[in-house]
Amino acid sequence: MLYSIKKIHREGRGIPLSLIETRGLQKVFRQAIKDPGLAGAVKHLFTQRYKDKYAVEGIDLKIEEGETVAYVGPNGAGKSTTIKMLSGVLVPSGGEIIVDGLVPHKQRMENAQRIGAVFGQRTQLWWDIPVRESLGLLRDIYQVPADQFKQNMDVFTELLGMESFLHLSARKLSLGQRMRADLAAALLHDPKIVYLDEPTIGLDVAVKHRIRDFIKEMNRSKGTTMLLTTHDLGDIEDLCERLVIIDQGRIIYDGKLQEVKDTFARERTIHIQLSSPIPDAEELFRGLPEVQVKRSGDPKGTITEPQEGLALSIRFDRFRCTASDIVKRVMSRGEVVDFRIDEPSIEEIIRRVYDGKLDSAALSAAGKGSA
Amino acid sequence: MGTKMKVKNSPRRILYLYWRLYSQQLKAMMEYSADFYITIGAAAMTQITGFLFLWVVFSRIPDIQGWGLWEVAFMYAAIYVSEGVGSLFFEGTWRMLRLVNMGELDRYLVRPVPLVLQIFCTGIGMNGLGNILIGGSIIVISLSHIDITWNLQTVVMAILLFVSAMTIRVAINLAANCSAFWIRSGGNAFPIMIHNLGEFAKYPITIFSQGLQLFISIVVPFAFVSFFPAAAMFGKEPWSYWGWFSPLVAIYFVLLALLILRIGLRRYESAGN
Repeated sequence: MLYSIKKIHREGRGIPLSLIETRGLQKVFRQAIKDPGLAGAVKHLFTQRYKDKYAVEGIDLKIEEGETVAYVGPNGAGKSTTIKMLSGVLVPSGGEIIVDGLVPHKQRMENAQRIGAVFGQRTQLWWDIPVRESLGLLRDIYQVPADQFKQNMDVFTELLGMESFLHLSARKLSLGQRMRADLAAALLHDPKIVYLDEPTIGLDVAVKHRIRDFIKEMNRSKGTTMLLTTHDLGDIEDLCERLVIIDQGRIIYDGKLQEVKDTFARERTIHIQLSSPIPDAEELFRGLPEVQVKRSGDPKGTITEPQEGLALSIRFDRFRCTASDIVKRVMSRGEVVDFRIDEPSIEEIIRRVYDGKLDSAALSAAGKGSA
Repeated sequence: MGTKMKVKNSPRRILYLYWRLYSQQLKAMMEYSADFYITIGAAAMTQITGFLFLWVVFSRIPDIQGWGLWEVAFMYAAIYVSEGVGSLFFEGTWRMLRLVNMGELDRYLVRPVPLVLQIFCTGIGMNGLGNILIGGSIIVISLSHIDITWNLQTVVMAILLFVSAMTIRVAINLAANCSAFWIRSGGNAFPIMIHNLGEFAKYPITIFSQGLQLFISIVVPFAFVSFFPAAAMFGKEPWSYWGWFSPLVAIYFVLLALLILRIGLRRYESAGN
């Protein structure tokens, strides 16, 4: 460990370490190559062939104390693998990690004492004993002082609404109850850092909100640093200012949520409701770049737009012309009854990233711009 | 790096945690009381038939290479008892395949408690209770038929040999089950094979070839669970002094098992979500 810290210090030239810092972090899994069928299985017995699969391929990440960071990417991008290396579960195949001055897989227990982890679909609780007893057992495991334990139990029970199921065994809990109990279990010892792997997966809206409020409250009141993976965009928008997008084991974006939106969600769509149709509406926008007009009479028009030609959907790039430009031009020819503006959802943006439609070089440039 | 950073695990805390984790398993287990009695009964029956077989053999031949019925019975029972201790208190070693393949080690690895302790407390093998009861009785009966002068020295020696023997057995279980990190499928075949090597140590190992003797003395030292301690206790020249290496062998094999576990952990891949 000393070796690694020295190395990072040397390279950092006296710049203090971030709370979480990784350099060139890698994890390689060995996969057996088997031909299909029984013959393939028999063949594999004698001639074993493997290929290396990089689950994580060189990740540089710095997270400061008190940050809440969303770590997102498609399935198999390496999110969970990264988190498991940070938490000391997996031994990296290459690169370096320092978490709060420790190398997690080497100083596993010291690291464990100051982190909390919720691994989405797997529980930390004991299956057969009441939640209350599970938490009591964790108190002994983490050596939580009695007053701190009592205080946290009171606060968590209240914030997470656990009173109704503390006496049940984990086996009998619903998914939402279990996730809340797991959050309590992970934060019972006031860890400095909490890793949340899909904390809201499969939960209903009410429980999701409860969990998000809890995470926000812990971050606010205790300064807990949070790194969470999620597929839920509500989680990201609600909890995180910073977004790290990873794909195929590499970070393809790291920066502010707002910036990724500015760079890659430039287009807006104005939906306008008119009192009477405007013929050849396209002519209105002559001279404005990249403006597309769609009428409700088009096959894709929706049933909320009853009369042909009364609804217009106008798509434009918000950095090349403004919404007022568009609306002004429409108003010059007709009466606008109603209008609204849509921006692409984060889901849309991230999906584009996943689909490889976005130029990753442009993305990383945007990311650097934010730093 | 301040002092509060260190996780202190005093022997007392380890014992306390062991008890806490173990008793949770026990509580969960008590819910299935029918299984409970059946497994204990089945284990006891296996041993009684084994012992009867031994008795039949010795009714035909007076001794095996200078070892009489009760001396062999003692070794026989020593292997059984160690198996029982391994099951009753350290059954978790046998659950490693599952822990590794299902990614359940994740949970253990994020806790500030020694991994081995958590592995041990993963399960309880109630059949071990049968082994210990019947095996223990056979040991007591055997000792009453064997001429040993009991004084402080022999008692201390017996305790030391016993603790070493049990430690060696558990370390062998742990090391063998670490195969889970290398062998992804095929069940427990490898650790069971290692376990079955213990059968050889139920008899005076001098009846086997030199190679096998060395194998179960050094590579998988089951001979130090039964044969060598027996030789030391019963003063069987020229083997008796070998028994005194028992504590050293115990330390050696514990370290070896921990090393194998450590190397195995580097290969641990968890499981996809």
